[in-house]
Amino acid sequence: MQLKKADMECVVQGIIETQHVEALEILLQGLCGVQRERLRIHEICLKNGPNLGLVASEVRLLCDLEQTEPSWTVRHIGGAMRGAGAEQISVLVRTMVESKVSKNVLRMFYTLGYKLDHELLRVGFSFQFNRGAQITVTVSSVNKMLKLHATDEAVPVTPGIQMVEVTAPASAENYTEVAAAVSSFCEYLAPLLHLSKPGVSTGVVPTAAAAAASLMSDGGGTTL
Amino acid sequence: MEGELVQQQQERLNQAVQQQLNLEQVKMRAISLFKAISRILEDFDAYARTNTTPKWQDILGQYSMVNLELFNIVDDIKKVSKPFLVYPKNVNADNATILPVMLSTKLLPEMETEDTSKRDQLLQGMQNLPIATQIDKLKARLDMIAGACEGAEKVLADTRKAYCFGTRQGPAIAPALDKGQAAKIQEQENLLRAAVNVGEGLRIPGDQRHITASLPMHLADVFTVNEGAQSFPEGSSNNAYMKNTPLSSNSMGGQNSLLQTSGSQLLGRSAASPNVATSATFDNTAASPIPYANSPRSSTNMMNTPSPQQQTSQQQQQQPTVQQQQRQKMMQLPQQQQQLLAQQQQFRQSAMQGLGQLHGQHQMQFSQQIGHQQFQGRQLTSGHVQHGIGQSQLNQGNQMTRISQFSGAANNALFSAAQTTPNTQMIPNISAGISSQSLLPRMQFGLSGNNPQRNHASQMLNDQMFSMGGGNPGGMMSIQQQQQQQQSSQGAFGGMASNAQNLQSGMMTLQNTQQNHPNFSQQRQQNQQ
Repeated sequence: MQLKKADMECVVQGIIETQHVEALEILLQGLCGVQRERLRIHEICLKNGPNLGLVASEVRLLCDLEQTEPSWTVRHIGGAMRGAGAEQISVLVRTMVESKVSKNVLRMFYTLGYKLDHELLRVGFSFQFNRGAQITVTVSSVNKMLKLHATDEAVPVTPGIQMVEVTAPASAENYTEVAAAVSSFCEYLAPLLHLSKPGVSTGVVPTAAAAAASLMSDGGGTTL
Repeated sequence: MEGELVQQQQERLNQAVQQQLNLEQVKMRAISLFKAISRILEDFDAYARTNTTPKWQDILGQYSMVNLELFNIVDDIKKVSKPFLVYPKNVNADNATILPVMLSTKLLPEMETEDTSKRDQLLQGMQNLPIATQIDKLKARLDMIAGACEGAEKVLADTRKAYCFGTRQGPAIAPALDKGQAAKIQEQENLLRAAVNVGEGLRIPGDQRHITASLPMHLADVFTVNEGAQSFPEGSSNNAYMKNTPLSSNSMGGQNSLLQTSGSQLLGRSAASPNVATSATFDNTAASPIPYANSPRSSTNMMNTPSPQQQTSQQQQQQPTVQQQQRQKMMQLPQQQQQLLAQQQQFRQSAMQGLGQLHGQHQMQFSQQIGHQQFQGRQLTSGHVQHGIGQSQLNQGNQMTRISQFSGAANNALFSAAQTTPNTQMIPNISAGISSQSLLPRMQFGLSGNNPQRNHASQMLNDQMFSMGGGNPGGMMSIQQQQQQQQSSQGAFGGMASNAQNLQSGMMTLQNTQQNHPNFSQQRQQNQQ
């Protein structure tokens, strides 16, 4: 029996103003029903050198700094699905392979000939839950490091805006259902933000301020 | 005439009533209402046929319109219905029974009981009071309820405004963000998306890629000096490693840059080594003329050269040109050989003199090896040398012969490495070799137990390298093996071919070669591990 491997993922991205992040957290808390998990990930992006062939390849190493013992993950993001079918789907479906690795991974890749392309630090929170598919919502501020690997001195790339990512692992057989689950979940977030395929810009939602206000308030009923 | 008048009067309503009735208007309203309802019915028909789902907003809108129109009509007619009386004209069997019920103003029994119960509920506690008070109380209640309704309506209206739902009739019109602000946000958004997806704006230019002194904890051990570097004797070399990390970052990743830069440093150092003789020896070594693989030269020369200086003098008789070539190549060949040599020498020297001379001895030993190799009458088939050369640049006549003359596997490797044109492919080799800490102990093991009289580390090295029956060429073997991976030159020790295969195993075979020293074939197999 062949295990169903999830070698693809459905992903959408959106932006939200930093002032509304708390409201978004409340909304997500209500929708997902799980506790949020803090997020602090050092993402190192490596590109292969010329000695490794003609095809450019990129590998991302993610180091989870939130745990006491930093854990490393290697992730390779492949090409996105193309074609008329892909255009119909409102989420981006792309190949993605991920694996946990030991802390020697960086050294190994350097030895292979990969070189550091860029790195960033994500600080925020995430929710993981199952709603038709195993969905992960990540809200984080993306920080850059002015000095190499200086994660303690990271500054946000855009101080007023944070990145929201909704991802769900999928396989070639079930990606349509996963995509539908992700997009239907995203509709719940409509009052606060728009989500779109990575690379497609959305702008902010005009109702965000009002929605955030109502989420933050205590309900405000007047007694008769 | 009178009859006509009466008739006319009968047939025409009172003008006043007629005006009040405003029949034209009512007729128009009735017609429009009829049209609206028929439209809705048509829409539903269409929905049913095409199996689409109607939108709530549209349907509600249409219904509300119908409702409004009906209400208006009824209102109009109610106003003027007072003077009129329903006079049933067509009474027949069908409606005879129901007409009285419809015409009666008295409520149905159920409705009547309901009505009385409600009235009782309302006037509870007020039955006894005079009517006026009852009326007042009821009025107060009405006022309160009206107030509450107003408050509720207000909240609804406010919320509707906040959410920009708008009125039922029209679509919500979102308040447009201030243009400047929208542009700013758009710009920020593009920045952020580009940074996350592509890495725009996050790349540090090469010259700024200095590893800060304080690496975060999770990276601290990734960038520690690797094991190979630790073998280098000088503490400064280690520092140089770290300092030089940023230099080659453009070309390669961290580790590689470390290695390259350190190698270059070593290169520099060896050039400036205190053992001036080394350079000379180097030249001389390369020039040892061994025209044939089965050179009858005995190995005694090699064996009995205790000091580098002696060896130097011997080798100085060699062809200088070749040596120069080799030296150049040696210098150009980076760091790998230097490093390998350094590593091995390190071990030998661990018990010996200060490490400062290590680099100098690199070349010295190298040259000595080469010279020794040349003198040794080992037999190598040229096929061996050519075996698996691949990237090797040994496929050049003279070099081939020279290589084939080498007896020691280690010698071969070193010499061929020296002879080939700068082989950048050596670099990864070296890196891999150096970073394997586990190999070092083996090297030591292989290196031990040589001619005891040779105190000089280089001598030990030479002995090991050159003595087939004697010392262990182990250390050098490893180097050669590593080099052979790319050059696959093979020495008489046999392990050459196998050495070419496994860089790491080159180191590992030290023990093996030591043990099976005279038995080349065995070594070969062991080297293949």
